[in-house]
Amino acid sequence: MTKNIMTLIVAAMLVFSAGAMAQDDDAPSREDFRSLDQDVQSLKKEVLDLNRDLFLLEEELLFPANSQVAFFVSLDVGEYFELDSVSITIDGKEVANYLYTEREADALMRGGVHRVHMANLKTGDHEVIAVFVGKGPHVRDYRRGATLNFDKGIGAKYVELEITDRVKKQQPEFVIKEWE
Amino acid sequence: MKIKNFVLGLLITVFAATSLASSKLEGQAAPDFALKSSSGENLRLSEYRGDVVMINFWATWCGPCRQEMPLLDELYERYERVGFNLLGVNIDDDSRRAMQMIEELGVDFPVLFDARKEVSKLYDVDAMPVTVLVDREGTVRYVHQGYKPGYEEKYLDQVRSLLRE
Repeated sequence: MTKNIMTLIVAAMLVFSAGAMAQDDDAPSREDFRSLDQDVQSLKKEVLDLNRDLFLLEEELLFPANSQVAFFVSLDVGEYFELDSVSITIDGKEVANYLYTEREADALMRGGVHRVHMANLKTGDHEVIAVFVGKGPHVRDYRRGATLNFDKGIGAKYVELEITDRVKKQQPEFVIKEWE
Repeated sequence: MKIKNFVLGLLITVFAATSLASSKLEGQAAPDFALKSSSGENLRLSEYRGDVVMINFWATWCGPCRQEMPLLDELYERYERVGFNLLGVNIDDDSRRAMQMIEELGVDFPVLFDARKEVSKLYDVDAMPVTVLVDREGTVRYVHQGYKPGYEEKYLDQVRSLLRE
C-alpha cells in the first residue's frame, strides 16, 4: 500500500515538474518580450537611418556638391514690378522658365525666396541670363534681362536673382548676384 | 470544359478592355504645372489641392471638343460652389484662335494655353480631347480619351463620387 502511495507521489511530482518545465519552454518571459521590442525598435531606427542615407546619397549623386549651382529669386518691396515669370539661360541654353501665380508672387513680396532652378556646372566660366517678365510702373508690360558672368570654383554656388525698387527712378531694378 | 473556356475568354476580354481604357497616370500623383490663363493670370494645378479638378485638353481643330465644352461648362457651373474646378488646356500654337472659340461657345471655365505643349507631354496626351479627373488629394483618378455623346453622364457620376470623398 505504502509502496503504491509512494509511486503515486513520485509520479505526481514528475508530472508537475514536467508541466512546470513545459511552461518555462513555451511561454517567453517578460525579458524575452523586452529584448524583442528593443530589437524591433533598433531595426526601425536602422531602416530610418538607411532611408536618410539613401536620400542624401541620391541627392549627392544627382547634384554633387562640387558642381551644384542653385538659383534663387527674391523680390524687395516690389512696388514697381508685378512678377509674372522668370526664365534662366545658362551658357546659351534655356534651363528654366517659371510662371508665378498670384499667391507665389505674394509670398515673394512678403519676403519669401524661391529656389527656381538647381543645376550642375563644371568648374570654370559661365554666363547666366535671367529674363524677368511682368507688369512695370503704370501696369505696363515689362520685360528686362540681367546677365552675370561667374566663375564656378570647387564647391557649391548660390546665385540670387534679385528684383528691387529704385525709388529715385520709380523703376524696378534687376540684379544677379553671387552669394559668398 | 466549354464553360471553363468561355469564362477564361471572358476574363481575357475584360482584362484587355480595362488595360486599354486605363491610363498609366491613373492612381499616380497628378504632374504639377503652371500656365497662363485666358484672364491673364498664371494658374498652378497644385494650388487647387483640396478641390476636385477636371483637366480638359482641347484644340480648336477638334470637333468633339466643340461638342463637349459647353457640357463641361454646365458641369462646372453646377458644382463649382462645392469644390469642383475645371481647367481647359488649349494646345493650339496660336492662342487667339482659342480665345475666339471660347467666345463663340460662351464657356466660363478658365482656359489655359499650352502653346509649348509641355503640359500635354506631361499627361501623355495622344488623343483629342483628353479629360483627366484629379481628386482632392491631387491623385489622377480617371483619364478619358476622346469624346462621344454620353460621356458627360460618366463625368457627372465620377465628379459626384469624387466630391463625396
